[in-house]
Amino acid sequence: MAYVATRGGERAIEQSERLFREELGEISLEKVAQIRDALPYLVDRVMGEASLYDQDVAALALTQAGGELHEAVLLLRAWRTTQPRICVADPVTQAGSHVLRRISAAFKDIPGGQVLGPSLDYAHRLLATEVLSGEKYQPPAVDRADHPAPRHQPSVSKWLADQELVTPSANDDTPTDEIPDLTREPLLFPAKRAHRLQSLARADTGGVLALGYSAMRGYGQAHPTVNELRLAEADVQVTHPNGTKFSAGRVKISQAEVVSKAKGEKLDRGFSATFGWNEVKCIAAATLDLNAEGAEKNSAVEEEFFLYHTEGVESSGFCIHFKLPHYVTFQSSLDAMRDAKRKKDTPKMEAAE
Amino acid sequence: MSETQSRHAQILNTLARASIPASKSFAEELLDNIGDVEVVQNRTGLVMLPMHDTVEGTSFHLGEVLVSEAHIKAMGKEGYGMRTGRDLEASMAMAVIDVAWQAGMAIDRIEAFVERQAKQQEKDDDDQMRAVEATRVNMETF
Repeated sequence: MAYVATRGGERAIEQSERLFREELGEISLEKVAQIRDALPYLVDRVMGEASLYDQDVAALALTQAGGELHEAVLLLRAWRTTQPRICVADPVTQAGSHVLRRISAAFKDIPGGQVLGPSLDYAHRLLATEVLSGEKYQPPAVDRADHPAPRHQPSVSKWLADQELVTPSANDDTPTDEIPDLTREPLLFPAKRAHRLQSLARADTGGVLALGYSAMRGYGQAHPTVNELRLAEADVQVTHPNGTKFSAGRVKISQAEVVSKAKGEKLDRGFSATFGWNEVKCIAAATLDLNAEGAEKNSAVEEEFFLYHTEGVESSGFCIHFKLPHYVTFQSSLDAMRDAKRKKDTPKMEAAE
Repeated sequence: MSETQSRHAQILNTLARASIPASKSFAEELLDNIGDVEVVQNRTGLVMLPMHDTVEGTSFHLGEVLVSEAHIKAMGKEGYGMRTGRDLEASMAMAVIDVAWQAGMAIDRIEAFVERQAKQQEKDDDDQMRAVEATRVNMETF
């Protein structure tokens, strides 16, 4: 790839950026707060893909980017680098997370029961057009139960392990500050499982869905059934200077584990989790994880293929770089074409003579 | 964990989720009697949050959480505040209340403040989880 230095575009570039920002208008604290409160699932998606959890900062990035998701994620990833890492929290566990939605499509009678939580799974998709005529849409209130749901739910996986349907998961006692971290080391293949899961956690939702969907449609090796889907809040467990452990607050997380009938006596499984509530991403990513082992090289479910191609900042950045001036490289291609044409035409001219 | 450490953890858990205006206002009141305060740290930063995978039990990183942190020294104790978000005054208020509690200053008022906040948090959690319980599927097999 080659570039040529040119002059003359400075004013156009400046005015172009001004035009973009002028059309978005003023940004105020109130505007950011409105976006944060009105679009929580979009804020969740951006926080997950940015790998940075803060609703205010994510809403600001969305506002500043005019809702252009890749731009918002890029803004957040860039801003993240200005912040020091203070510590690594204790790992989120199944038993410790505050579960607000937890279902299984594989088993009807799971321990703790099926709790739908906030969901549109069974809703009619009707657009409330009356709002555009000036009416207000007031959602009906939930008829609350007379007792609260348990805050914690047992793991479906553990229940399956007790029935010898799956291999029990090992206890990973890696010290928290030694857990492999993609933000500080390169992604190499075959990837460490910690790298694969971290990469999927920060992957582009649309990219993961497209590749996961291809596996679901039959281009993968295994068809997923959702063993457990959770939307939860997790404590950020940190340590006081005197050694006392405490929660610095809660963050929203989602996770999915999918299963598939295997050739052996145990079920095959795939897992994914991310910041925010984003079920589609987790199910699609868990499907990729399920299909990865033994996948054919260069197939959509092969680890290197899906991890490289679902990294949103890199893929969107590479895509949009093609609109930047490529005058030299393209001119070179044209020269080659013209040269080939000239060589092709030369014998004919000689023959005519 | 000792009884004191256990109570300390409960207090910190509550303070990290306490009402920000109420915490700031209460910390202001306490500051009048705390004397010299050395600010070791007051900054925003990131806390990496790991998780255990349910399939192989692998620890992996979900991503980083933006927090505000305050670390102070006063009355021979180290006060510490950390809460999600970027409000530096909120974490400082937490650290001030923490250092006062550890030094045994205004214990009754601090315990009463923490109790009020804990009750409100419990009420909010209860309301949320009663709404969640309403979505439980009572499956009947035909």
